[in-house]
Amino acid sequence: MSRKVCIIGGATTPFDYGPTGFESIEGGAAECVKETQQDVPGFSLRDLDLMIYSHFSVHFGHQLAPEWIIHDHLGLVGLPHYRVENGGNTGGSALYAAALAILSGRHDVVGVVGWETMDSVSQSQGSEFIALASDIRYELMVGGIYPIYYAAMANKWMKENHVTEEDVATIAVKNKNNAMDNPKAQWYRNDHKYITVEDVMNSRLISYPIKKLDCSLMSRGVAFLLVCSEEYAKKTNPDQYVTVDGMGLSSCTIRAGDRLNNPGWSERYGPGYPGMTEFAACRYSAEQAYKMAGIRDPLKDIDFGEIHDAFSTSEAQIYKALGLATEDTIVEFIRDERTSMHGDIPMNPGGGLLGYGHPVGATGLMSMIECYYQLAGMIPKKHLSKKTEVPNPECGIVNSHAGTGTSISNFILRRH
Amino acid sequence: MTVTIVMKHKKEKFADPPNFTEKKNYRPSDVKETGLVFVGHEVSEDRTAMNQFLHYDQLYTIRHGWNSKFFIGLLEGKIMGTRCPKCGDSWVPVRTHCWNLNCKLERTEWVEMPLTAKVHTWTVAGWSGRSSLKRLPIILVYAIIGTSKVAMANELHGMNPWDVEFEMPLKIVFKPKDQRVGAVTDFHFEPADFWKPSPMNPEKQRIKDLVTPVYEWVKTLK
Ligand SMILES: [Zn+2]
Repeated sequence: MSRKVCIIGGATTPFDYGPTGFESIEGGAAECVKETQQDVPGFSLRDLDLMIYSHFSVHFGHQLAPEWIIHDHLGLVGLPHYRVENGGNTGGSALYAAALAILSGRHDVVGVVGWETMDSVSQSQGSEFIALASDIRYELMVGGIYPIYYAAMANKWMKENHVTEEDVATIAVKNKNNAMDNPKAQWYRNDHKYITVEDVMNSRLISYPIKKLDCSLMSRGVAFLLVCSEEYAKKTNPDQYVTVDGMGLSSCTIRAGDRLNNPGWSERYGPGYPGMTEFAACRYSAEQAYKMAGIRDPLKDIDFGEIHDAFSTSEAQIYKALGLATEDTIVEFIRDERTSMHGDIPMNPGGGLLGYGHPVGATGLMSMIECYYQLAGMIPKKHLSKKTEVPNPECGIVNSHAGTGTSISNFILRRH
Repeated sequence: MTVTIVMKHKKEKFADPPNFTEKKNYRPSDVKETGLVFVGHEVSEDRTAMNQFLHYDQLYTIRHGWNSKFFIGLLEGKIMGTRCPKCGDSWVPVRTHCWNLNCKLERTEWVEMPLTAKVHTWTVAGWSGRSSLKRLPIILVYAIIGTSKVAMANELHGMNPWDVEFEMPLKIVFKPKDQRVGAVTDFHFEPADFWKPSPMNPEKQRIKDLVTPVYEWVKTLK
């Protein structure tokens, strides 16, 4: 394909639970666009020719088609717009849609706005709302909320791969401590402390083997990402644009229990895969993205990533699904701290969902934006120090993840 | 010019409407079904910020349609599964059409499953959704019922949470008939009668230590 998809800017509001100072979604979106305009002075709202809105649950906002409020508020009447919803992978799917629009040749400058307002109900009510994205006929009332489903999957995965509670706790420690360098991160704004493996091990049980500090945060937040053709990128932000060289989107069953003998996966990867332990849609979408971007050895060819750490356990599972480690090497991979800032493939330098926060519709965009900042050399400007800057990165991966692994996208971004 | 449209045939129906003769209403008295109501607000001292409280209380009808036999089965104390007549795969939770692409969405047939199962994976929950908090800690298992090709989630009762094991044999136990509502909560798993827990080990002790404060916390609820 001759056309290239580029990212030339983006910003988020602070992510938080309760007061952020950016409570109105349309006001938050406007501030994200303004920050992008400051970073990219050549960009005008008049240049946009399509808007894609990334929002998961109207249950939280109690407003159907809330994107219409934002779009109107941004002064974009007349411009085509629609909303993408795909669970926790809403942000990734919105970028996928924006990229398709540009690759098709129909559009040149696409704005993507994502948000979620999860603090509009209590935490336990919020957990139930999210659980409405399980198959409510079979899973809703059996104690079922997402951390429990993830715990059941992670428990078996950890046993089979000899990964311990302490091993995954190091991932929670890494991401929350990275977030301490990021003023927009919820962990920085609320808890505001450096933690240890012991803190994670002593935090309250959510669902064995997952404890409170192994979990991402329910959040309020808005994000804006500016996606465009290479021609527009060269004209508007020639020194700070990145190309989306690879992308993949894949799907799996809604109920995690339906993956033991699924013919769709048996055909691709052999009988028994993925079971209730592996994220097949992550593996498959990564393979598509790697092929498109010419990645042969992800561990060598990719410098860092922003990946979907809804739980510390799922980040570990994702390492394997991305092909960074195998059953034989995963324990060593984690214990050697390969994904910390001093490792060879830092993961979630921006704090990830565990540290930055997880306002679902904005989450995938936040991961893109952090990845973009790293590749565009903007970390010293956006983070508090250079501690969370990846040295001279050429290539980053962004991963967005939904359901119990029900929809997953991966993107390969390269510095230009 | 005038155009006259003549209705030649009565609109054809795909199916006759079901005649619902067995009706039960166990709605709690506090379900008001008020629809949307503003029920309060708050304004900050400096009068720059306002929050408003919107209440929404609405009854939903889940029309089970072709899946109904499974849920009616629960009322009757049965686990109904489905089976593809072409490839022989069977499922609980059910599929009304086969998942095997070669079977071209073959309609499946209903089969009654045995009330036995085997643990595929498990977790011990110390936190849950609002409606489940008082039942904590909860052992949640994904178990394979009978010949099913998939695992089904449900709670495991009748044992210490730290004793749960992979592959452990289970039986399916239904609530008394008058308490059933035709939902998956009508049944739970229990260890098979012949199963005995293995001796205490470090992992079991770890789970025991994690759930001890959960028992204490639940006592403080309401
Ligand atoms: Zn079949």
